[in-house]
Formats: sequence, C-alpha cells, structure tokens
Amino acid sequence: MPTLTIDNQQVTVPDGNTVFEAAEQLGIVVPHFCYHHALGAVGACRMCAVTVVEGSMPGMKMSCMTPAEEGMVVETGTAQAEGFREHVGEWLMTNHPHDCPVCDEGGECQLQEMTIASGHGLRNYRGNKRTYQNQDLGPYVAQEMNRCIQCYRCVRTYQDYCGGRDFGAMGSRQRVFFGRFRDGMLESDFSGNIVDVCPTGVLTDKTFRFKTRLWDLEQAPSICPHCSLGCATVPGGRYRELQRVVSGVNLQTNGHFICDRGRFGSGYVNHPARPRHARAGGSRVSVTDAVDSLLRRISETVSQHGPEAVAMVGSGRASLEANLLLRQWAAELNCPPPVFELHPRRARAIRQTVGTLSDHLASLRQVRKSDLVVVFGADPLAEAPMLALALRQVVRAGGRVVVLDPRPVELPCEFEHHPLTQEKILCLLAGNCEKELFNRLLQDLMAARRPVLVGGGDLLGGVGLQLLGHLTESCDNDDRYCLVHPLLPQANSFGAGLLEGPEQTDLLERLESGRVRALICLESDPCSEHPEAGRMQLAISRLDYLAVFDYLPTHATKRADLLLPTTTPVEGDGVFINNEGRMQAFARVLQPGVPLAVTGQGNHPPREFVPATPGCHPRPAWQLLQQVLGDERTLHGLRQAAAEHESRLEGLSDLQPGGEGLRVMPSSQAPVEESTVEIWSQDGDLRLLPVQVRYGSDHASCLSDKLTPRMTGPQLIVHPQEAEKRQLKAGETVLLKTAQGTFRFPLACDERVVRGRVIVPCLPGTPLEILVPGGLSLPCEIEGEAP
Amino acid sequence: MAELLTAEQIDQFRAHIAHIEHPRELIIDLLRAVQDKHGWVPDEGVELVAGLLGLTPLEVEEIATFYYKIYRRPVGRYPIHICDSICCWSRGGEALAEHLQKSLDIAPGETSADGLFTLLPTCCLGVCGRAPAMMIGRESYGPLNNEDVDRVLAELRQEAQA
Amino acid sequence: MKQTAQLLFKNRRPGETVFLKEYERAGGYLGLKQALREMQPKQICELVKNSGLRGRGGAGFPTGLKWSFFPADKPAPKYLVCNCDEMEPGTYKDGELLQADPHQLVEGMIISAYALQADTGYIFIRYAYREQFANLQRAIAEATEAGYLGKDILGSGFSFELHVHGSAGRYILGEETALLNGLEGVRPNPRSKPPFPAVRGLFGRPTTVNNVETLSNIQHIVTGGAARFRDLALTVDGAGTKLYGLSGHLERTECFELPVGISLREIIDEYGGGVWRGRRFKSCLPGGASTPFLTSADLDVQLDYQTLEAVGSRFGTGGVTVFDDRTCMVAATLNLIRFFARESCGWCTPCRDGLPLVAWLLEKIEHGDGTRDDLQLLKSQYSNISGNSFCALAEGAMGPVDGLLRHFEQELVDHIEKGRCPFS
Repeated sequence: MPTLTIDNQQVTVPDGNTVFEAAEQLGIVVPHFCYHHALGAVGACRMCAVTVVEGSMPGMKMSCMTPAEEGMVVETGTAQAEGFREHVGEWLMTNHPHDCPVCDEGGECQLQEMTIASGHGLRNYRGNKRTYQNQDLGPYVAQEMNRCIQCYRCVRTYQDYCGGRDFGAMGSRQRVFFGRFRDGMLESDFSGNIVDVCPTGVLTDKTFRFKTRLWDLEQAPSICPHCSLGCATVPGGRYRELQRVVSGVNLQTNGHFICDRGRFGSGYVNHPARPRHARAGGSRVSVTDAVDSLLRRISETVSQHGPEAVAMVGSGRASLEANLLLRQWAAELNCPPPVFELHPRRARAIRQTVGTLSDHLASLRQVRKSDLVVVFGADPLAEAPMLALALRQVVRAGGRVVVLDPRPVELPCEFEHHPLTQEKILCLLAGNCEKELFNRLLQDLMAARRPVLVGGGDLLGGVGLQLLGHLTESCDNDDRYCLVHPLLPQANSFGAGLLEGPEQTDLLERLESGRVRALICLESDPCSEHPEAGRMQLAISRLDYLAVFDYLPTHATKRADLLLPTTTPVEGDGVFINNEGRMQAFARVLQPGVPLAVTGQGNHPPREFVPATPGCHPRPAWQLLQQVLGDERTLHGLRQAAAEHESRLEGLSDLQPGGEGLRVMPSSQAPVEESTVEIWSQDGDLRLLPVQVRYGSDHASCLSDKLTPRMTGPQLIVHPQEAEKRQLKAGETVLLKTAQGTFRFPLACDERVVRGRVIVPCLPGTPLEILVPGGLSLPCEIEGEAP
Repeated sequence: MAELLTAEQIDQFRAHIAHIEHPRELIIDLLRAVQDKHGWVPDEGVELVAGLLGLTPLEVEEIATFYYKIYRRPVGRYPIHICDSICCWSRGGEALAEHLQKSLDIAPGETSADGLFTLLPTCCLGVCGRAPAMMIGRESYGPLNNEDVDRVLAELRQEAQA
Repeated sequence: MKQTAQLLFKNRRPGETVFLKEYERAGGYLGLKQALREMQPKQICELVKNSGLRGRGGAGFPTGLKWSFFPADKPAPKYLVCNCDEMEPGTYKDGELLQADPHQLVEGMIISAYALQADTGYIFIRYAYREQFANLQRAIAEATEAGYLGKDILGSGFSFELHVHGSAGRYILGEETALLNGLEGVRPNPRSKPPFPAVRGLFGRPTTVNNVETLSNIQHIVTGGAARFRDLALTVDGAGTKLYGLSGHLERTECFELPVGISLREIIDEYGGGVWRGRRFKSCLPGGASTPFLTSADLDVQLDYQTLEAVGSRFGTGGVTVFDDRTCMVAATLNLIRFFARESCGWCTPCRDGLPLVAWLLEKIEHGDGTRDDLQLLKSQYSNISGNSFCALAEGAMGPVDGLLRHFEQELVDHIEKGRCPFS
C-alpha cells in the first residue's frame, strides 16, 4: 500500500496501482484515451503523461504505465507534461474531421473533452487528411472511420473483453482500420459495448442515429429488466420515445458493459400494442373510475363468495414496491397471499435462492474474480448474457469454467462442456450417478481459491439448487466460502420471492374448480407463464373477473375485465432485487406517452393541440396500488416502512439509483425442504426440453423490433444420432408430438446436444410459447412429415 | 477461382498443424504459400488460411494487412519492389523509380497494362551495398542504372511470352 | 590498412556459401564440441559476460547481462530467438553473413541455447532474405543430420531444435517483443515491458532474443576466450570485431569485418575507397538510419558504443551510410522520416501520428514553403516525440532529426529563406 504525493496531495493506494489510478482516487483527472477501467492500461495513446519528480525513475512518464511507489512525488501540471499532452492532442487531431456539428457523438465526445483538457487548440497540419471507406457493421453499430484516433479501445473491448472474433484492427501505421473482414452484422452478443467505449464518433449506435442531440436526451440510471442479473443501464429518450440504452457502471454487477439484448431489447417501451388506457368492461375509463370499479368488484366478490374467491398474482417483473403493496392488499382483504411466481418449479428455485442459499450468494463481480466456476444446468448467453462475459474474465485471468448442461452451450471463452441431461445433472448433484465426474469436480472445487457454482434455476429447480447448496457447503473451508450464483427467471424474481408466503401450487386447481372467482394479476401473464399454459388459458376464461395491471400486451391484458396500464421500468421509479439478492433502485427516465414520432406521424411539431399527453395514462403499479389502498405515503416512506417491517430489506430506503445497491440480509430461516420429489431418471425415451434462447424468449425482448436480426426462428435441436435413428435430416421440417400438441418445425442437429433430448426454444408470440421453460423434460416424439 | 493451394500442400499443412502446439505461428507461412501459388492473397485465400488454422477470416486479415509483402490485392506477374530508402536514395533511387514509372507507364502501386508488372515502392531491401536496388518477386537486383532496368524488364517480358 | 583477424567472415568468399563439410574443415563446430564437453552452461554465460560482447542488432545491450536475466532453472519450454529481421536502412551485415556462412549462426545458437538451457530456437528472418533463408534451412538440416541439433546433442544429454520463420516485410518486427508477437502469429505491435521476454516471452515462456551477429560470435568467444575477444577491439571498453556495411556516397560499398573502435576516417578512406566521384565528405549515419548524423568534425571518432555516444550519435548496427557535400540534409532526413512513418505499427500516438507530421513539416521546408515557425514546430516535435513513444521506433526516427537540428540547422534556415532547396 504505497503512499505517494500527487499535486501536493497525499494518497495511499493498493499495491500494483498505477500513478493514473492514484490520481483518479484523488479526483485528479489526467487526460487519457486508451486507459479504460475495465480494459486497463496499454500505454498506446500517450496522453496521460505526468512528471515524476521523485521516484525510482524520475522524469516524464505515462501515468497509466507507471506503478505507484512509496514516497513518490508526482506533478501532473508541469510545463513538460502539459506541453507533451498538448502535442498528443495535436497528433490525435491531425486527421480528425471537423464534423462535430453533425457528429452523433456530440455532447458526449471524450475526444472533444480531452483535446480541450490537453490544451491543443490550433492545428498546424495543413496537408490532406487520411480518409477511409466505411463498412456496414450491421443494424446496431454505425462506423465513421475518418473520425478514428486509434485508441484501440473498441478492439480491446470486442476481442479481449468480450471474446468477439469478427471485429478487429487491420492495416498499420496511420492507416489502422477497425472493422470486419467483410461488411455484415457484428456477431458478438456484446457488440454494442464498442459504442460505449469509443471515445469519439467512430462507432455510434445505429438505432439511435439522428434521433436526438445528446444534451436534449433525458437520461437516468436504471436497471436492466431483461434477466435476473440486474445490470446497470442508462436508458435515454426524448419526445416520449425510449431511444437508446447504454451501459451504466456498477462494479459489483455488470461492471462497465451490458449485453446486446439489454441494449437493443427495449422496443416494448414504445410498442404500439402497449396498453395505454384504463379499461373496464370493454370500454375506456379514467384511471380513477377503473380503480373505483376494481374496488367495487373485488368487495362484491369477497362479500358474495368470501375472501378465498379472490386470488392475486404478483411477479418478478413488477417492482418490489408494487409486489409489497399487492401483498398488503391481500392481507387487508384477508384473501390468500399473492402467488409471486406462477411456475411452481421456478417458484421453488427462487425459494431456495432467497432462503438457504442466501448466505452463499456470489455477485457477478465475484464470479469474474473466481478461479473455478462450475455451471450446472445453465446456458449463460441465453439466460443471463452478462454471466457469459463474466465467465470469459475468469478464463482470461487463468481460471477455469466447466459447464454441465444438455444444450449446445456456447461461451465467448474456452470451457469444458459435459452434455448431460437435466435429470442426470440432478442425479449427479445428489451423488447418485456420474460419480467420477462429481468427485473430480468436488476435488477441484475444494482446491480452488475462489470457487463459484452457477445454477440455472430453470433446469435445476428447487431440488437442484438445494443440492447445489449442499455442495457449496461441502466445498467451504476456513478461509473462504464456495459461493453460488443462481439464475432466476426475472429481474425481480428474488424480490418477489422474498415476499412469498407458504407454498401454493394449487392456483390452477382453484381456478378450474371455480373456487377462485376473481383474479388480480400484477405485471404477470398466467397464460404464458404457467407450465400448463393451455389449461391455464381455459381456467382464466371461466373467471368472473380478471383484473390486470401491466405495461406489456399479454393474453391477460387482452382478456382483462379490468385493465390498469402501468409504466415500464424506464417510466417510473422502483427497486428490483437481482439474483444475488442485491437491491437496486431505478429512476424514471421518461414520462409515459405515445412517442411524438407516432402521434406526429412524421410531422414535427404536431399540428393538433390537446391538453393531455397522448398515451400518458400508465402509472407505476405501486402508485395504482396505493390508490387502491388509499395509501398516501411517498415512495421513500413506502420503502422505509418496508425496511422496518421486513428486516431483510434493511437499507432499502437509502438506495440511490445509479449506486452499487445493497445486498439483502441472508435468511436466518431453517432450510426449506422440498415438498415435491422430482423424478430424476427418465432415460430411454426422447424428451422435450423447452428453453430460453438468447433473443426473444423474455417477454420484453420479444417485442423489440431492433432484435429481429438476431432472432433465430423456431427450430428443434437434437443430437445428429437422434436424427439419424429416425431417418431425419437437418434442415427438414419435422413433426414434434407432445402432450401439448403437435408442432411443425425445422430440425437442426448439433453434436453438443445431449442424446435423448429435443431442445426447443420458448418464443412468446409463436405457437411454441405454450412450452414454458422451467420444468422437467417432457415425453415427445419427432417424425418426418407424411409424404 | 484458381487453386489457392494444392491438395498436397493442404494435407502437409494439416499434418503440420496437428503436430504443433501453436498452429497460429504458421499464419505467415500459409499466407505466403497461397501467395506463391496464386500470385496474391484473395479473400478466399484468407478464408482458406483461417479455416486451416481454426481462426476467423478477420483474425487472419488482421495479420495479412499488417505485412507489406502479403498482397491482398491483385499484382502483376512480376511485382517490382523498388527501394526508396536512404542508401538507394543517395545513389539515384528516385531517378530509377521515375524511369520505371515511365517505361511501364504506371504510377507507384499500379499494374502495367500487360498485367506483368506492379510497381511497389519498398523500404530498404538489405542490399545497401548494391544501391540502387530493386526486388522483383523475391530476386534482388542492384546496383542498377536505367539500362539495367530496361534489360531486366525485357528479359522478364520474354520469359512471360515463352 | 592493417589486417583484421577474421572471425565471422573467415570463410567468406564472393558469391559462395559455405556449408557443413567446408565449415567443419575450417574448424566449425569445434566450439560446440568444446562447450558441450568441457563447459557448464553457467561457465559459458560467465565467459560471454567477460568477453564484453554487446548486442549487434543496434541497441548494444551487453549480451552476458541479457542472458543473466534468463531463468535457466525454469522448466521447458524456453526459447532462444534469433533476430534476423534486418530492415534498418543501411544495414545489411546479417544478410552478408548468412549469405556466406550460415552454419556460424546455427553453431552459435546451439551453444547459446546450451548456455541458457533453452530447448527450442527460432530464427526470424526477413522476407527479402530468400537465399539466406534457404541457406539456413540447409544448414539446419545438415546440422541435424550430423547430430549437432536435435535430441541428446553429441551425447551431452542436451537437446535443442531449431526452426526458421520467414516474415513478410515490416521493420517493426525487428523490435524484439513485436518479433515475438509476429512469431506467434498475432498482430506484431510491440509488447509493454515489463514483463521482459526473459520472464514472459514467446508463447508466454522465458525467451531471449539476440541478433544474428551477436549469436555468431559465441563460438569464437568459446574457442578463443574472453580476453582475446576483448583484445580484438581498438578501444579500451570495446570488444570484438564488427561487421560494417558501407553504403551511400563511397567508391566501395561493401561489408567488412573490422575491429570495434576503428576510426570513421579509416573506414571511409581505406575500406570505402573514399567519398565517391572525388567529392568531399559531408555527413554520415554511423550505424543505420536511426543514428544521428555525424559531420566532418567527427571523422576521427572511433566506432564503438561509448565513443559515438560522446559525439551525440550511436554505434547502432554498424551500417555506415556516407553523404557527400552535394547532399541536401533536409531531403535526406525527410527520406529517413518517411521510412519510419511508413514502418510505424500504428500502436502509439507519437509514432503513428507524430512522424507523419514531422515528415509533412520537412517536406514543406524542403519544397521551399517552410517558415521560421515551422522550424520551431520541428524542434518542438522533435523534443516531444523523443523518449515518449511506446517502443524505440519513433525514438530511432528522431535520431536523424536530432542530427539535422544540431549540425545542419543552417541548412533548414537556408531552405526557408531562399524559399527553395539550395541543392536542387
């Protein structure tokens, strides 16, 4: 821990820190380009020069490449260092075009800031500027190479950090070109990050081009809603349109980057089919009338059929506050507490995470720092893409990644894949099969310094996560825990799970039997979330009354007798709790409303003048529920009360959007015992495994047009031998016969798929949507189409 | 597209790649082999090399475009590397380059109309004692005067006709 | 003209290449036998350290000291890499050596590898050296056949395999860490140091990179001893002979093996046959394109590391390029800067963008469009690029600019005042 003096201020920094980092700690910004917190220092741009006055190597040095030393004295503002930085500014600007007024980076251009910081103002060079021919990098990233200052950040991000292999540096000297071998869409699932790291307007968000000048953009720190990791994002919008999402910084979770699904998957916010108006009995009503009507109908139901006749469904999509108020409402009505996860097996996985595992949970940062990660039943790129990136960092630092999964798992790094069926993985965890592999993993885990187990909640379920919990405990030692990183279905599954009461698995039966007459759904869609979606649809159609609070167009919103449109996470404040139990607040970015681009029909400004904003009716669900409950507390008051009431939520009211968040207290409850014994051995037959895919499986991203180019159509994937056995060929359309019905889809073969399984993607909006992931594999058969 | 490597060459490289720990070290050897066979390295050549080494075309292109002696564009049958570094410059290299341009009727970087010659200014060829010098294909010539150049070009033209 | 003992050019005859039989007949591989049979690896390292041999590739780092950083006790693989990417203008000695006598390098490398306990060697050779490449391949095949290379060399238990890697034309590959990247098949930008190659080199393993001429000297040091090697030099601090490649405005532009410490005047007059066409000496690059110009005031300087540093230049590679009195030094410097700008790898800013700016300034002045401000600008470019780039390339590029500004500022002023090049 050397102590050094920079610009007459003393600072003590961790061993191995550089002078640059020490200065940063003091709040001294040394101009820089190639240095990036996530990418480290490479000494290429030479902008961060400072003068080492005293030290083992005095003189002008690049601060990013100079280790901080005990007793070192550094000055950042010497004439030599300032003069040199001015030259670097001049060199970098030699070929940079004067197109700032029309450049999309304007307003957040680091080159502009650093050039000014460097003191360079007058270009001496009067010769021709170097020009490039741009490439088409696909629908997400626009390239304008003439602006490039060759800081190499993009390639370091794309190749080194993200493991992409189709974008890089070509050529040399003053003609280095950053691009692809040929025109075409960037292949990495993290491609958008090169937009964030580019210090100038070379790589910009193509989907955001020409929409808004940055200083007009409304932005606020938010939490990505697309999976359970809770990555920090900064959505930006204008004219009531969510226009872009960039990565926020949270070193505990995503670090500096986000995945493309999170970045380009927010089309649901502006989606034309989004519910915008309160509706009661088929006609539009005001929000107040809707709330009144809701209260009346529920109280009628309670008085006619008793409180048991009212059921409530919360969700991992809704904020913690909204779920809390829903639970409060149920308590006030004396009806059964809400079900917060409709899929019983998923619910048990959440229950295990929230309960038993809660003192062993690993943050994404801890995953990145691990030296051995064993992934049980998870496909990170599909279920939690940033986890895949974290695993890459493990491998880059010399660690190892082992994956046990039936799917053709891909990762942006080297890893060891054991294709095992879901049942075999559970059996292995129980110590009943694959003992050799299990023992080897156990040994490695015990020897590892920072081991982490990743558990896919969908494949493992509650039993699997419970077994995973036993495994972490047997790998703990006096110096460290073996941590676990479970993947949950939704952004706030953990938060919803925290509120879950005793297990309720009979909702469907209660609906079918008519015991439940009125159902209230908070940002959830039973028809596509319950594993028996078909039965659920039928049961719901028999209800007396269906009330839905939601921002997405779903089966439930279509059928609702009463609809209260809610805001998306970018239009309201709230808290999500991610898969490691981290409470994180998000802030409102935009007021809800139909985008001007839609209402103006291409004309601007609008020619029609109305006092209200079109489509402004959605409100945060927690606000609507407050109205229902006659609750007038502020959001802060609401959180404060929750924290007082629920000790695990300590600190909830201190959360700030954009912060690192706060872990919920570990559970002191006794271990949750599984009530359902799962059948572990189902060998022999061909079985169907519905799974999430990278794009289009979550309810939000499937409504994003921007993601269409990345989506793969519905298809069945089997091991080539399974196809051969049935005389089927890859590419041909086959019939998939299941208890849920018969489907026609093209067949794909992949040697990495475990034998005996058919992998099928869950794609809301397609016939496949009734195959909900999260269950055990189902019996099925595939055959060729009859000629 | 003409053959980029013979089947025999591909087999040899495959065997070599299977035998060594870091196949990527062969990237230049492979690119040079394609170039020797085909005269230059077309996109398909980059893809072929990538396929053999288990790399992406981009990863090969990053290397191919770095080296000046890997031709990623078509060149004439005889690429002429005319040295423009200091020793040749001091002994009439510039005039020699001008003479070449005139007699081939091309600017630096261009290929003569008959498709035989491409003129490529190059850095020092390592034959400074024989300045001014040029390298055609991989054969060095020097010291040269205009008459020498004319004679060499004539010989090569004749060779091409034969 | 005194006769110099010929170590490296002993077997050299015009137009011929010496291969195994002849090489052995002339005493070849005796050094290897002596080293393997009579000496411990550490003894050889010590001997090389005592010999005073300094790296012949341009930087002049003491070879024994470099070797002392190599962790001989680390497990295999460990690499010895020979740098034959000789691409600095005015430098062609390694090419000459390998044209004449390739086994010398092979033998030198085997002994060096034994001294360092390296198990694998690479010779990294530039594209243009086609014949030298073929010579080395043949020499390696012969040496392997004769049991000098491969497993259990001469029954000593020491094994060493040697490969030749042909490059594809870039000066930056001569930088040792860029060379290692080139060998690995990744983009040959230089690596940051530390870690030095001895710690993390080729494929992340301990590696030493030495120049052709450096390695070829090893067997002569082994057979002749350190003291004799030191005595070959004419300066007190110097050691050994040096291959001097003469070029530019001389009557005879050939490569000679002469003592370290020979005077510039003697080389020019006795070996180069004097300045050509009866003209007068104006300046020279004493050791390749990156070494600052000398003037006629320096003619009596002895060519060695310290002596040349004392007159503001460097020994470099031993490639002496002479300019006569009709040479425009602005134009000469412009030519050199263009070379360096074109050969920049594009990694760091001063080199990638600074050198083209310097070239543009010199071009402007050379064409008569320069102003007094441009001269100031040139000076500030020089002082800001020097010492501040990622690797030594831009640093080297500033060598001639340094010489130009120190010795020929008046020539720059003349260009500016006359509005044209006074030599055209």
